[in-house]
Amino acid sequence: MLKRTDMAWCPGCGNFPIRDVLEQALQELSSPMKDIVFTSGIGQAAKMPHYLDVNYMNGLHGRALPLAVGIKLARPDLTVIAYSGDGCNYGEGGNHFIHTIRRRLDITILTSNNQVYSLTKGQSSPTTDPSVKNDLSPRGNENIPLNPIALAITMGAPFVARCFASERDHMKEIIKEAILFKGTALVDILQPCVTFNKTNTYDWLRERVFKIDKPIEDRYEAIKTAELWGDRIPIGVIYKNDAAHCREIKKIFRERIREEDIENQLDMRCVMMR
Amino acid sequence: MEFNVVIGGEAGQGLFSVEIGLTEILSRLNYYFFATKNYMSRIRGGHNFHMIRISDQPVHALSGLKWDMVIALDGETEGRHRPDLRDDGIYLSRELTKEIEKEAQETFQDIRYANTMLVGCVLAVIGASLEKVIEAAENETGQYLKKGFDYALRSNLAGKYPLQPVAGDHCKFDGNQAIALGAILGGCQFMAGYPMTPATSIMHYFSTAALTMPVHFEQAEDEISAINMALGASYAGVRSMVATSGGGFALMQEGVSLAGMTETPVVIVLGQRPGPATGLPTRTEQGELNLVIHAGHGEFPRIIFAPGSIDETIAVARKSFALADRYQIPVFILTDQYFADSIQIVDDDIPKECLSREYPVFDITYKRYTLTEDGISPLTYPGLSDARVRLDSDEHDEDGKITEDLGLRVRMVDKRLKKFAMLARDFMPPTFYGDRNASSVIISWGSNKLIVKEALEKIINEGKSASALHFGQVYPLTAAMVAPYGLEAKRLICVENNAGGQFAGLLKRELGLNVAHSVLKYNGECFTVTELYSELKKLLT
Repeated sequence: MLKRTDMAWCPGCGNFPIRDVLEQALQELSSPMKDIVFTSGIGQAAKMPHYLDVNYMNGLHGRALPLAVGIKLARPDLTVIAYSGDGCNYGEGGNHFIHTIRRRLDITILTSNNQVYSLTKGQSSPTTDPSVKNDLSPRGNENIPLNPIALAITMGAPFVARCFASERDHMKEIIKEAILFKGTALVDILQPCVTFNKTNTYDWLRERVFKIDKPIEDRYEAIKTAELWGDRIPIGVIYKNDAAHCREIKKIFRERIREEDIENQLDMRCVMMR
Repeated sequence: MEFNVVIGGEAGQGLFSVEIGLTEILSRLNYYFFATKNYMSRIRGGHNFHMIRISDQPVHALSGLKWDMVIALDGETEGRHRPDLRDDGIYLSRELTKEIEKEAQETFQDIRYANTMLVGCVLAVIGASLEKVIEAAENETGQYLKKGFDYALRSNLAGKYPLQPVAGDHCKFDGNQAIALGAILGGCQFMAGYPMTPATSIMHYFSTAALTMPVHFEQAEDEISAINMALGASYAGVRSMVATSGGGFALMQEGVSLAGMTETPVVIVLGQRPGPATGLPTRTEQGELNLVIHAGHGEFPRIIFAPGSIDETIAVARKSFALADRYQIPVFILTDQYFADSIQIVDDDIPKECLSREYPVFDITYKRYTLTEDGISPLTYPGLSDARVRLDSDEHDEDGKITEDLGLRVRMVDKRLKKFAMLARDFMPPTFYGDRNASSVIISWGSNKLIVKEALEKIINEGKSASALHFGQVYPLTAAMVAPYGLEAKRLICVENNAGGQFAGLLKRELGLNVAHSVLKYNGECFTVTELYSELKKLLT
């Protein structure tokens, strides 16, 4: 395994505890490591799969989710986890975030949410708080922050959680639960960026986070809770719907197409056009 | 002997149904025919027209001759198409077709059966046997077809242009069906896409096939998602494709770059239509050649096919997936609206066996990007063993981990580009027609293949010496592909449907060949045989 110093994150980065916890969580699952596939986009967070003993497809910025969809549809037997940062999953990949949830697939979406674009050195991300100043927003962020928890619940995601990199045990249990959950599971992980986010620091977050001890049953109540931010920030499984069905995926991998199927296609050729 | 009919009307009047009905019965009765259409980007109104050429010989292009029959379902047909009707041709005016509609309403209580009556009428005109027509008809349509026959008989049109049905066993396809079937034969089991004319019917075919076969179609939220889904599915072990048109492909470009960098096999079908931007959504052009050659930032190899006939299309689609796997590159298939929407028949020796991917298994020492002699690393898929399969869009080391080692960077670039050497030896040769000793060669690519062929035959039959060379593979172009033809010493005339003479430019860049004259058409319509023959004849004098 790689040494700490080979991991391209700053000392004190929130991604380190997340990595340690993820590694433990994956080992504690019953799926063998060989059956786990990560997808990621681009950014500091998206380097995560490189530092774990997993299969991965580290694609383009914003595109972790469509890769995960393609992999899951081809190989429903694999455990598919999409891991990226807030810029990747909610900004560049925002359209994919919305529509991937709609597909009702058994995948896990983990977002390292540090409320800033770090690899490009400090610009606002979709989750940046209002009025925060940085080099592209010298007058302060004028946009409404995207709330991924509320958005995911609105879109019909059946498992929506938030955790905090500092609360390791809590984070590990939630991540495990998310991966085991049969359906689309989102975990938004608050991950302080020690280099570029001087607002939402470890201390700032510690003063504000409070744990939800069990998921809120009513979806609209859950959305209300999801929208809490600022003075009080809920962490835990905010919403869970065990009754939600996820899509049945037909097996195609290594299934042969028979000659008679082709014969039927040729007989049906005109039918195709109607 | 041949018979050319055009039927014009507004979108929504059922012209497509007439075409489907007529071509299906012509096929079942073993008539040679070629059908294509000209339609607007709207669902109701406007003016669309369908053209069907029926013959006692195989036909694979529009003749461009005067119509033998013009059928008007709207007012515009008279001004648009009647001037092109031969002097003793049949004109079914709007007044007459309204009477047919009235008859359908009165007899069958549904005005829409008038369309089937028109099909019956056309069949009667060419002297088809009513008995055979009814036998070939589906369900109860026999009665509507017969009513059309009765109309033709009453109007003294029956048998006016008799043709013999002499086609043997065959299959009927439009260009998109040929691509979709070819892909399935090639082992493709995953397709993702976003609807876009003229590629949508490939997706329709695939998603219908998914009802009964182990294949999957996923409708993506946008084309960026589509290409990434296909790459994910391919990485995971399933042969995958996407199909789109120029505007959708523009969105896919970073995905193309990702395919090149991660060396993930994928097949990309691009049905060309006039651009730029939204252009003419339902018309034809060959304007994306340069785009597809250069698409995707960075440098990496690719193959681009542009098949020109139904059997070439099936063969190309079928082999593209094995080629993509073998070289671990993106493979492109260029088609266009004209070819995608044209219906024609081919002899029935379509391969029925589906090809399949290989699934080699490696142990934990496996590295996805192992540097090898020929640049091709062993390819496997996640979960088959303890081997980890790791892909990265960054420059990467042999194990798929991000690297900024600049020496390794050069070795990885060289590795990817080394595949060009193999592609230079593994190409689909162009198709030659005509006289090897002719001093002129008519060059074409994609859907102009058989239009050029027929025009050439006319020219040769008049005693002129001429030849043609059609490229079904447009990239890479190598000296070996053209070596047998001595093109440097010939006068080259290049036929294409774009304004910039893109293929002529490519011949110059890749092979140093100078095209003496380009025959270009870019008004959104295909060439007809007569039109091309006239142009070429002038140039060959």
